[in-house]
Amino acid sequence: MSHSEDGLRPEEFSEAAEAAIQDALSRAAEDLPGTLAAAGLLGVCATQADGGLGLDLDFAVPLAQASGRLRLRFALAEQMLLARHLAGTAFAAPLAQGQTLATIAWQGQRDDGWVGHARRAQDARWLLVRHVQGAVLLDVLNAPQKTETTLDPENPQTWLDVRQCPVLAELGADATAALWREGAVLMAATAHGAADAALTAAATHTATRVQFDRPLSARQAVRHWLSRMKLYHEAGGAAIARALERNEWGSPREPLPALMLNLQYATFIIEKAIHLHGGMGFTWEVPLHHALREVRKIDAAWGGGGLPQSVGQRFIQTCKG
Amino acid sequence: MPTETNLPAGRENYRSYARTWLSAHLPQHMRADSLDYRSPTLEESRQWEAAMYKAGLAGMTWPTAYGGHGLSLREHLAVNKEIGALSMPESVSSIGKELAGPIIMTVGTEAQKQAFLPAILNMENYWCQGFSEPDAGSDLARLRTRAVPQGDGWCINGQKIWTSGAAKAHYCLLLTRTGTVADKHRGMLMFAVPMNTPGIRVVPIKSIDGKESFAEVFFDNVLVPDEARLGAPDEGWSAAVRVLSIERATNRMYRAWRFESELGFLVRACQSDAQLAHLLDDGHYQRRIGQVVGEIDGLKGLVERTVSQLMQGDEIGARGSLTKLYWSECHQAFAGLAQSIVSQVTPASSPLAQRAQQAFTQAYLFSRAETIYAGTSEVQLDLIAQRILRLPRE
Repeated sequence: MSHSEDGLRPEEFSEAAEAAIQDALSRAAEDLPGTLAAAGLLGVCATQADGGLGLDLDFAVPLAQASGRLRLRFALAEQMLLARHLAGTAFAAPLAQGQTLATIAWQGQRDDGWVGHARRAQDARWLLVRHVQGAVLLDVLNAPQKTETTLDPENPQTWLDVRQCPVLAELGADATAALWREGAVLMAATAHGAADAALTAAATHTATRVQFDRPLSARQAVRHWLSRMKLYHEAGGAAIARALERNEWGSPREPLPALMLNLQYATFIIEKAIHLHGGMGFTWEVPLHHALREVRKIDAAWGGGGLPQSVGQRFIQTCKG
Repeated sequence: MPTETNLPAGRENYRSYARTWLSAHLPQHMRADSLDYRSPTLEESRQWEAAMYKAGLAGMTWPTAYGGHGLSLREHLAVNKEIGALSMPESVSSIGKELAGPIIMTVGTEAQKQAFLPAILNMENYWCQGFSEPDAGSDLARLRTRAVPQGDGWCINGQKIWTSGAAKAHYCLLLTRTGTVADKHRGMLMFAVPMNTPGIRVVPIKSIDGKESFAEVFFDNVLVPDEARLGAPDEGWSAAVRVLSIERATNRMYRAWRFESELGFLVRACQSDAQLAHLLDDGHYQRRIGQVVGEIDGLKGLVERTVSQLMQGDEIGARGSLTKLYWSECHQAFAGLAQSIVSQVTPASSPLAQRAQQAFTQAYLFSRAETIYAGTSEVQLDLIAQRILRLPRE
């Protein structure tokens, strides 16, 4: 983990960020971007010239975790990344300051026509989408939209026809690869945060819910489920921390294994948390279903079951003499 | 103290030095992924580990006064990463280096430290661990082996089981009790018992992999001097807990990197053979391999986090249970995958595939022990529930 110039550590920044997100969640939806921006969250990794804090990616990780933990309905990771990677353009400052909302289509190419798998695309004015070897930032104000509400009726997946959208900026192949690498880390962190909240909720509920004269978590079967959830949560967090560090040759580490683990483990933890809540877990009274829907959407955006195969193929390739 | 070379300063320098030295000196026949591999003899293993020590690659964190290098866990981890990256044999003295040594350093007298610690590092003495008993496997509070004061020393009677390396060990790190089983965790006493003491009988046990790597050890009126006692009476249980927490958190720190090396060997063996190479084009196996890659990453992260926390002065506590449980379950699953792949090897397969068949079939069989030894998976889950999640019992 790094420090900022004034000695601030990511975990310390995280506490303030969590409070800021709590504050934003208590306000009207239209005030949310401004509140997050005022707390420095949207521009945490943007340059100071763009109104950001100029901090490293490891400062964005706890923010993404907090957004997952608090079920923030805002594409925080994407906004932070775009404000960082569009540095030097006219688009970074409005993103860092929360004046314009943007998101990223993690799958699909501009030439595909319809692209999706972009969180909160329905709220975004700008959309980054892959194009040829790099990516383009599009103005999607007038793009035709289709929404898919089956998985998440309150926060649906949105598809946009981007064929006629004006191009605002372009990113080269290397810049796009770097953005996608960091995106994988922040999506892993978002899922990890969602799992954290689910684990805490399950541990709290089973410690207080008395059945057959004992708290549920006094039963070995329940204790072992919770321990396994904790195990996977710790392993996922450790993988994220590792993905942030450079390898011994100074190169960035491959983040897809960390993303793969965290999507699998977050799904497992949230599903088990729902199970351990019994009938209540199956209802809208307990917010676990929101977390499950969000993690499933991130998983879909990054290829669903295709991630392990992609990671496996890359490893096999590295073994070829 | 090692004198062979001037040891480098700094973590990354140490890692680079370790990589260079190990790859230059590890005999080809000791590399499990080599076509020249053959199982090393005890003497060959002893010589190899003694050479590693002289080269500054063992006893990293031990004080220089006792033969160590006085370095930090960071250098220890750096060296372990390189040890793991090569398919070298497991240490024949891991109980001494990773269990007996640390506990002697914690509760031993100065004379015991001087007598035992350098001899462990330079491979003069091997140790075994006399903890488990027929009625006290996971639950050490039920152990029955008794130590009774007699003259200036102690008389020990009882039986140990699952004692790894007992047949070759010079000393036993022996856990006994001075009272009765009803005392549970009270009254436990630990000893360093020479294995050639009259009254000790070792009966090898044949394990699932066909080897006799562990044994039953019987203690019939074994007389030891008081100087063999490690720690004060009643300190035995806390010492045992300390040993077990060390065992789970820091032992065999190379395992994540060895795991990666094994996966690489498996893939290369497949690539060397036309028939097995087709499996690597199969999405099922690609996904399984991808899963293992992710788990190795998680495991490396857990190990590095533990080192980082220890460097900051944090207690290990029950966090070692996370690493032990995660490694054992992930590695066991990998061993099953590897065995299913190498089961397709035929006499017409490539030589490397045939070498992999031998190695991974053995690894699969041995892996069944991984969720049992050093605390079963269920024990680890209990520890996580109790000490990390702090779930109520009532």
